[in-house]
Amino acid sequence: MRPILLQGHERSLTQIKYTKDGDILFSTAKDHVVCAWFSANGERLGTYHGHQGALWTVDVDPSTTLLATGAADNTIRLWDVRMGKCLKTWDFPTAIKRVEFSEDGTQLVAVTEQRMGYLGTIVVLDIVVDVNAEQADEPRLRITCEESKATVAGWSYLSKYIIAGHEDGSVSQYDSGTGDLLQNVQVHEEGLQVTDLQWAPDRTYFITASKDKTAKILAANNLKILKSYVADTPLNTAAITPKKDFVILGGGQAAMDVTTTSSRQGKFEARFYHRIFEDEIGRVKGHFGPLNTIAVHPRGQGYASGGEDGYVRVHHFDKPYFDFMYEVEREQARR
Amino acid sequence: MSRLQTSRADWADDEDFDDPSVLPPQQVISNKDGSKTIISYRFNDDGKKVKATRKIRTTVIQEHVNPRVAERKTWAKFGLEKGHAPGPDLQTTSVGENIVFRPSINWKATQKEDQSGNKGSMKEQLKDKKVKCRICNGEHFTARCPFKDTMAPADEVTAGVGDQDGSGRGTPEPAGGLGESKSRYIAPHLRHGAGGSGGDRMGGKYERDDLATLRVTNVSEFAEEGDLRDMFARFGHVTRVFLAKDRETGRAKGFAFISFADRADAAKACEKMDGCKLFLPHLRSYGEKFLT
Repeated sequence: MRPILLQGHERSLTQIKYTKDGDILFSTAKDHVVCAWFSANGERLGTYHGHQGALWTVDVDPSTTLLATGAADNTIRLWDVRMGKCLKTWDFPTAIKRVEFSEDGTQLVAVTEQRMGYLGTIVVLDIVVDVNAEQADEPRLRITCEESKATVAGWSYLSKYIIAGHEDGSVSQYDSGTGDLLQNVQVHEEGLQVTDLQWAPDRTYFITASKDKTAKILAANNLKILKSYVADTPLNTAAITPKKDFVILGGGQAAMDVTTTSSRQGKFEARFYHRIFEDEIGRVKGHFGPLNTIAVHPRGQGYASGGEDGYVRVHHFDKPYFDFMYEVEREQARR
Repeated sequence: MSRLQTSRADWADDEDFDDPSVLPPQQVISNKDGSKTIISYRFNDDGKKVKATRKIRTTVIQEHVNPRVAERKTWAKFGLEKGHAPGPDLQTTSVGENIVFRPSINWKATQKEDQSGNKGSMKEQLKDKKVKCRICNGEHFTARCPFKDTMAPADEVTAGVGDQDGSGRGTPEPAGGLGESKSRYIAPHLRHGAGGSGGDRMGGKYERDDLATLRVTNVSEFAEEGDLRDMFARFGHVTRVFLAKDRETGRAKGFAFISFADRADAAKACEKMDGCKLFLPHLRSYGEKFLT
């Protein structure tokens, strides 16, 4: 497999997102630009200009009409995907660490940073999926995280719950209608933050990555830990692959330690684990720095990883990847 | 004359007088097997003309894509890419090295083996190594040899004997019975190269240089090379002034050497300066070397 290297960013990557069809991927980095790329050949479709601070997060609505970004300039911006035009800006008191569209694209959840006396909050914005429509000015819902600030958040199946990962390594489940806290489970080691939360295609379960060197699959309805994957390095990101029952984890030591360790020691590899058997089945090298984000093609044809080194590497899986099966899986397939 | 004109247009001359800045047109040849050969010319970075022959076979692969995806493929570029031609831009997009990625069940085990294999090879290299004494060839370190004090290393003893035989002199070394092995200290004047009587001469190497050098003794410890040079330059061209200095204090030790280019100048200087007191308490110069 020959990865495509995308060098559109000058600083470390923060998030990558594929569209629902997997044809375009969006990347954000700590420079102030969002890039849109065709995933098939790495051609850059365009860039979105307007943010004044480091971009932390990006998401695209399921119909690939609107793009939402959150940045350290305390704004969420809504963009016209096609024209690269900024449609709406929401101002907040602190930086935006995470945005995610609901399954139908009509709601947007955002996580705000805890800073300067403001507590971390999770806000929900109503979105009209139309480029020309007038968007609501105020969030529909505001959940304040009293105990530990949220770092990541997302929508469960049917937008029933909002699931959030926290700085203290716990995961909570909120009612998406009322914002009530339904459950809070200490999933990861106390005090080590949840760094990523990504969904299975049907959104009934999700994977969390944490600095405690593990990634865990949890059920969305009761937050039960279904699977646990142990790595040997702090994890920044984890993704579930459709089509094959794998998960991809990415990490590496903290950015501040990068210069003092060799790339061999640094463990800057994407790690593949079998989703069910929890075994590590392979690694993909390539980055010079820790992996900050991994996104998987919605059809499971490939994945893209973004690193602290400022590169996006787009991989298209080849035959051995699709052929790989455990003996039990093969037997089951034969039946 | 007209004949000459026509011959100029000849193909043989054509290349010589062809305008170098004009490139020949691109040629496209259709081959029998359906492929095409394209011959094109261009200038490379050094300004040289490059001919590129490419053989291209086009195959049409039909792919059914989502109409939404197909529509997005035709979108105009925007932002930094605005106005750029379709297709990946080499500035932002490149293809990386091929990565072999084969998932395997016992990935961890194989990985460990690889690592331990590397370490094992070093171990294996040293596995058959045995400790060997250089003195008695026994299986212990040389430092622990019981014969350490009484015997020289085995190979060096034999080498020493061979050397003596080779020289054919047959006479014993002047260093005495114990001096056969090279590992022992032999005073410089007793070594092979030194003559028997050379004890009083220092630095045998510089013995034979014919420079006219004066030795100046009783030099003030505050004297400097420049002072001496000034004093002796009156008598001729001074090539070298050496003032012995104490390594720690940096002051003169009390003697110096002055080399002259000409012997006659040196003799004159010796004659005039001998016993001379200048600002130096008492100066003695000896025309030692060249006079003897």
